[in-house]
Amino acid sequence: MLELIDLHRRFDDVVALDGVSFAVPDGEIVGFVGPNGSGKTTTMRIALGVLEPDSGTVRWHGRELDADERRRFGYMPEERGLYPKMRVHEQLVYLARLHGLGSPDAARRATEVLDALGVADRADDRVEALSLGNQQRVQLAAALVHEPTCLVLDEPFSGLDPVGVDALANVLLRQARNHGVSVVFSSHQLELVERFCDRIVLIHRGRVVASGTIDELRAMRTRRLLRVEVRRAADGWFEVIPGVVAVDVVAGGVVLELADDVDEQRVLDVARAAGDVEHFSRVRPTLAELFREVVQG
Amino acid sequence: MNVRATDRGAWRLVARRDLSVRLRDRGFVISTLITITVLTVIILIRAVGGSDAPSFSLGVAGASAGPSDVAEAAASVGRSIGVEVDVRRFDDERAAEAALLAGEVDAVLQGDELVGVRDVPDRLEQVVQAAAIGSRLRETLDEYDVPPAVRSDLADQAPIGVRTLEPHDPDRDENGALALIAVVLLYGQLFGYGIWIATGVIEEKSSRVVEILLSAIGPRQLMAGKIVGIGLLGLGQLAVIAIYAIVLARLTGALELPGEAIGVALLSIGWFLLGFAFYAGLFAVAGSLVSRMEELQNAMTPINLVIFVSLFISIGALQDPDGSLPRIASFLPTSSALAMPVRIVLGSATTSEVALSIAIVVLCAAALIPVSARLYAGAILRIGARVKLRDAWRSSRTG
Repeated sequence: MLELIDLHRRFDDVVALDGVSFAVPDGEIVGFVGPNGSGKTTTMRIALGVLEPDSGTVRWHGRELDADERRRFGYMPEERGLYPKMRVHEQLVYLARLHGLGSPDAARRATEVLDALGVADRADDRVEALSLGNQQRVQLAAALVHEPTCLVLDEPFSGLDPVGVDALANVLLRQARNHGVSVVFSSHQLELVERFCDRIVLIHRGRVVASGTIDELRAMRTRRLLRVEVRRAADGWFEVIPGVVAVDVVAGGVVLELADDVDEQRVLDVARAAGDVEHFSRVRPTLAELFREVVQG
Repeated sequence: MNVRATDRGAWRLVARRDLSVRLRDRGFVISTLITITVLTVIILIRAVGGSDAPSFSLGVAGASAGPSDVAEAAASVGRSIGVEVDVRRFDDERAAEAALLAGEVDAVLQGDELVGVRDVPDRLEQVVQAAAIGSRLRETLDEYDVPPAVRSDLADQAPIGVRTLEPHDPDRDENGALALIAVVLLYGQLFGYGIWIATGVIEEKSSRVVEILLSAIGPRQLMAGKIVGIGLLGLGQLAVIAIYAIVLARLTGALELPGEAIGVALLSIGWFLLGFAFYAGLFAVAGSLVSRMEELQNAMTPINLVIFVSLFISIGALQDPDGSLPRIASFLPTSSALAMPVRIVLGSATTSEVALSIAIVVLCAAALIPVSARLYAGAILRIGARVKLRDAWRSSRTG
């Protein structure tokens, strides 16, 4: 398990991180979301040791992360980067060796990972000669080549088409489920995060404002919303119940917000009295809605 | 899987990559070929320009005894002072003049005249004049019937000795040539390989690969590996060029002091190492401050200027190795790698001066390397506008 504990970091007068803490358990995928400039990249760079925190610690399996363990992490920075003129296989072998693999292991793993990502036929091409999609795959291969114990990926899905997104999601799921790798990635594609992350960490202005499974995040939400569709009812049928207001009008019905002391069953009774109830459900907020609520306020 | 526990040896991997990538680089092959070509031309010109002992060919026209005697006497005078005069006889004046115009002889003796095309070489004229005076003297002695013993005394005059107040180095010319080649080569290596370090740093920064590298190894390992790899390549190239030049010079006879040349080659290699140790970190910092190749020229300007001025002072030192400017330059760590070899080759530096100069450059390099490492570490991840030195220093708190 990777643990980030109370990370602080400022750049000159700008506070980038103001006490960031969260954990990435073994074999789980954590989605790291937040608006631009909220501190995601800074946090990831600190986790990788590329950047030093002003204070706070990074732990791995309960002990402070040292350079040797950190070397076994895999990283995909937001700004993709490889040596443009170096050949693909040669480059992966070099990176694997920097991560501590011996020469034969490095060569074998480079071949394996290129094979697994479907770019084995470009092994002897220069990186600059590859299409953007293939460069992305090689970039991912660079993060995987040394069989990392932890994967830290900054916006790995940006620029991928839907097929590429599914392929990458499968790779990450395999890494987590089959190899017990701790995976954390940042993304602005929230429906993607919602779909296959085990946990979500929401960061805003250098602080973690929400974290947990998607259900836990939904439960944290204070607003109680109901979507109700009633045929042949007069507008404003719900106004007889104190503490109920309409917050949205949807096709054939309304979204109602309930005050804390209002019983849902009472709303249902009033609706049935007003007409034929065709739809009655709690509104489960999407991650995008939660995100907006948290960020806007 | 065999996973090594620390990144301490990582600089070796970096060095190996930086060396092998550049070894295959077309720019490296071309620059090596250019250097070798230039050296070949210099050596061949020297080989054809030939030996230092002056030698002339003197023509004599006709069969009359007078000029012929003078010519023989000139050959003998020349021998006694180290000037070779080769006498060639022609049947008549026309044949002699044709040979003169064709450049086969340097001058022709006709009657009591010495004839040249436009000019007669000074040394040859002096020798012939001395011989002519000698002949006339002998004729006078004949007329007065001087006894043979007196005559042979007069004829047997050894040339007077020559002495200088300052010690004279008979090999000064050749040493000067060696020192010039050494200083130009050293300048090329220091400057060229320094730039290679800076561009290598920018390549990693502008392609953003540096962030991946730094997630595996520390910035100091990365910088050290780059400097060692590129430095070894420069050292290897210098050694190959030196061996080639010495062998070629030996084969063509351009070189009379092979021992000296080998000494100068070793000296150059040693001073390359010292100069490189001093400058390499600075070039790495210059590269780390900017994010694009186009900005590099600007960032390197101060370093370029210092090396360039050092080159000029050192070339000046070829004429006056004991002057105060070359003397100072040979102690400053910024210029000693160029100026000190010149003074050593020309015999102007004492052993203690050399030791002091080496000590200064080693100490300064040792002090500078951690400073440049910290600046490099502070600047290398700052993509975008040029990083100020102060910011680079402060953002790398771990020193």
